[in-house]
Amino acid sequence: MDLTGGLVARSGSGGMCRESTGLESLHLVDEFRQLVTLPSENAGGSFTALLELPATQAVELLHFTDSSSSQAAVNGIGGDIAPPPLHSFGTLTFPSNSALMERAARFSVIATEQQNGNVSGETTTSSVPSNSSANLDRIKTEPAETDSSQRLISDQIPCPSQNNRSGKRKDFEKKVKSSTKKAKSSEENEKLPYVHVRARRGQATDSHSLAERARREKINARMKLLQELVPGCDKIQGTALVLDEIINHVQSLQRQVEMLSMRLAAVNPRIDFNLDTILASENGSLMDGSFNGTAMQLAWPHQAIETEQSFHHRQLQPPPPHQWPFDGLNQPVWGREEDQGHGNEHNNLMAVSENVMVGSANLLHPNQVKTEL
Amino acid sequence: MNTYNMVKQEFIKKWITTLQTLDSSVEYPSNVTERKNAIRLSSDIAIAATRSGSTVWSRALISRTGNKTTKPHMARRILRKARSRMKNRCSTLRRSGDFTARVGVRKRTELLKSLVPGGELIDDKDNLIRETLDYIVYLRVQVDVMRTLAAVDSVTGNL
Repeated sequence: MDLTGGLVARSGSGGMCRESTGLESLHLVDEFRQLVTLPSENAGGSFTALLELPATQAVELLHFTDSSSSQAAVNGIGGDIAPPPLHSFGTLTFPSNSALMERAARFSVIATEQQNGNVSGETTTSSVPSNSSANLDRIKTEPAETDSSQRLISDQIPCPSQNNRSGKRKDFEKKVKSSTKKAKSSEENEKLPYVHVRARRGQATDSHSLAERARREKINARMKLLQELVPGCDKIQGTALVLDEIINHVQSLQRQVEMLSMRLAAVNPRIDFNLDTILASENGSLMDGSFNGTAMQLAWPHQAIETEQSFHHRQLQPPPPHQWPFDGLNQPVWGREEDQGHGNEHNNLMAVSENVMVGSANLLHPNQVKTEL
Repeated sequence: MNTYNMVKQEFIKKWITTLQTLDSSVEYPSNVTERKNAIRLSSDIAIAATRSGSTVWSRALISRTGNKTTKPHMARRILRKARSRMKNRCSTLRRSGDFTARVGVRKRTELLKSLVPGGELIDDKDNLIRETLDYIVYLRVQVDVMRTLAAVDSVTGNL
């Protein structure tokens, strides 16, 4: 189970990349070790057990647990990653492994929901990771879909998952012992903006240091999560070097975007090149049935002929400016375009995009495309 | 697997729309650099729109691209909405000379702030890291999509 593996990896990394926070770090390492033994005790709902443990006394326990649970998930996936398959260009260094990106995307989506919810605690959104995968997918698509409906969707999350997640405890030692305890009375704790912490042995107990410690731990958790995302970062100790790696990664990604856009510009004489090229390439490949486009594939051959004209036709009418509302820039746009009488275009574009993405997800190689054409 | 692909689909949908809009509304660019800038601009707008709303970097990215170009009226309209939320302008990239470990966390945090769009507006280090995490994921989406397109282009050639 990759969750168990993730926990093991996480405990290992937690022990290694621990900031020097004195007794805190020792306690957290112990906590991680407890985490390792925990999933074996919990038969079902390993996610909930995972969530109950990583405790530390964070200000917004939801955020912290989200990051740690996602981190564990990321770790789990990271442990399973084979050496990242080299892209055909041979330039790929970081893993284009879709599973890792899935976790990362999931985290970013969770973070979105967190930000959109209440300040004190988005109990509903935070319960996302503990849901089944079906719910996960549903919830994950929400921020990509609409911002406004996020709160509505999150409200519909079933209660039991809330209770599972609401075990953000005040006393993490108690948590360790009562690992199976799911529903605590801490639902109202999540909604309160107060910090519920219990001081460990030998620690100062005044509110300032408690809040400071909680904040530090939250930052450390996020740093660890970033370490997971940036390849080759878990071996580094110290915040400064980790930040170095992250900065390098962001810079390299930005440079890659620059170079790729330059490459795309050099290849094509026009700006809106990709439509025609995608259509041309996808036409042949889809006809061969090599892509697992499923339902789209059926619709595609019939409309393959008219897509060219319809796309050109749509080109002449640029979408009205108010199709670009800043928030929720997605389905409404396409719905409007369908109203313009190009409904089949939408399906075709979906087919195009889906198949392009499927291709990239399956690490489509140019040779592969060539043979299909 | 699913979420990442869906994000990529969203991005490519928006990007195609942006490219179409740019091509129809802007006069025909002549050289590679202008085309590259247009592609980069449309890609940035699309990726920021895919991540619509709640992140600082997406709003900052749209605001920044709106500042750089005057032609795309799309970006302008988005900018009008985004400008009301943004208090600052995002400064250009500030490359560091040599950062060694002795410089410490502070300088690196500032550098990271200069890298991530809208980073200077974030004071909380915790939120900055969260924004960076999010930004990295979406940068990867951008790179993956563009790389796939480049692969397709290299195979099919100019059309």
